[in-house]
Amino acid sequence: MTLLMLLFWLIVGGTLQAAVPAWRHMGQPAFPFLLGVVLYVAVNKKARYFVAVALLAGLVEDSLSLAPLGCSACAFLVAGGLALLLRADFFADKASTAMWFGALCASASTGTMALLLKMKGLVGLSGGEIFWRMAGSAVLGAVLVPLLFGMIRGMERVLGIWEDRA
Amino acid sequence: MKDRRWIALCAIGLVVLAMMNLPDSASRRVKGAVRDGISPLQAVLRGGARELQDIFRYIRGIGDLALENRALSEEIVYLRGEMRMARELERDNQMMRDLLGFVQRFPNKLVSCEVIGRDSTGWWQTARLDKGASAGVAEGRAVITPDGLIGRTVSVSDRTADVLLLSDPSCQVSVRIARSGVFGVVAGMGVKPGEQPACRMDYVSQTADVQEGDEVVTSGLGGLFPKGLLVGRVAKVEMHEAGLYQTAWIDSAANLGELEYGFVAATEKDLASVRPELPPADIVIDDETGPLEGEEP
Repeated sequence: MTLLMLLFWLIVGGTLQAAVPAWRHMGQPAFPFLLGVVLYVAVNKKARYFVAVALLAGLVEDSLSLAPLGCSACAFLVAGGLALLLRADFFADKASTAMWFGALCASASTGTMALLLKMKGLVGLSGGEIFWRMAGSAVLGAVLVPLLFGMIRGMERVLGIWEDRA
Repeated sequence: MKDRRWIALCAIGLVVLAMMNLPDSASRRVKGAVRDGISPLQAVLRGGARELQDIFRYIRGIGDLALENRALSEEIVYLRGEMRMARELERDNQMMRDLLGFVQRFPNKLVSCEVIGRDSTGWWQTARLDKGASAGVAEGRAVITPDGLIGRTVSVSDRTADVLLLSDPSCQVSVRIARSGVFGVVAGMGVKPGEQPACRMDYVSQTADVQEGDEVVTSGLGGLFPKGLLVGRVAKVEMHEAGLYQTAWIDSAANLGELEYGFVAATEKDLASVRPELPPADIVIDDETGPLEGEEP
């Protein structure tokens, strides 16, 4: 994945995430486009690329919301870290695996974000509401992450820059 | 090898900590730069989405007609399509006239903006406008539509501004019931499972005259929102269990879920900071027509 490609997906992911309205049901979670990009890099690329992407994606997401800088980066690092830890045992090139993985990581990311925002006193949601929202994120992650994986991988193959996990 | 991993982890932790503890001004600058950089793409995407919506609406219309009027010729279908487009144009025209009339009626200076995005995390109820400080938009200004108040600006960069919508729990507005003059504070309810965004007016005196359908307008107290802006209508009134006070649930007048345009109520001071686009001083405008009759040269 070239630097240009990485920036492209981060900008597209951020723009789409801000354009698509949050899902009305299950606690109004946002569609995790940026998380999908972070997970793709965490699962398919070297760990150092994942860290850089997580920090940049966090910067983009926080800039497009009222969240303090760093919160989303932290959430992405936790979710992507989970992906890094599990990828050897868990991941095969299958949509169903990506689906379960997306659900797990989206949920972890939302939980981390909720914890950070609550610690900073920025959201007043109860534990039940946060749990409900984590469930909503899991549903969206399960739907969106396999699609994003397919799109990014497809684009890399078309451009001839696809390389196996290192 | 293990040592290197620990060093890397510590470095990442330090970077995140530094990001989270950036001074407010630096954080605003960084966020503003990213937002301004992405805003043209957001505007393009928004425009594209609208175009697509129009095309789908048009195609669906033709499909329906074809089902209903199989016997009709292609020409009639085409003509009806044309007619529908003309009606759309007429509706748009009427909407623009209404907006223009609204702008002329409103006493404050209004900056018209287009909504280009929403909060990317979903934790806040916000909308992003396509104009910022360079167009005279400042923080803490009321944002309205012809239907009523929608919120206030909270985060302004050079080319964009975020509006905290009425439905966000942290958006509080001092209001008055138009019919009875009862004062109160309306706060957003956020989004609860299975509920639509709405606002609530808490701690209304048990004897206060508040009824379903009453119009709720801004009181002007606090100076943040101009007086008399329509906020919404009372949907239902509940007495507190202990009978100490009432709670009124408010339906916002503006449709907060489908915002396309908004007007920021700017002050003279906000607009004074905007550099007017005047011709350079060395260009002389030659007026060939000369002074009008009765006008001094």
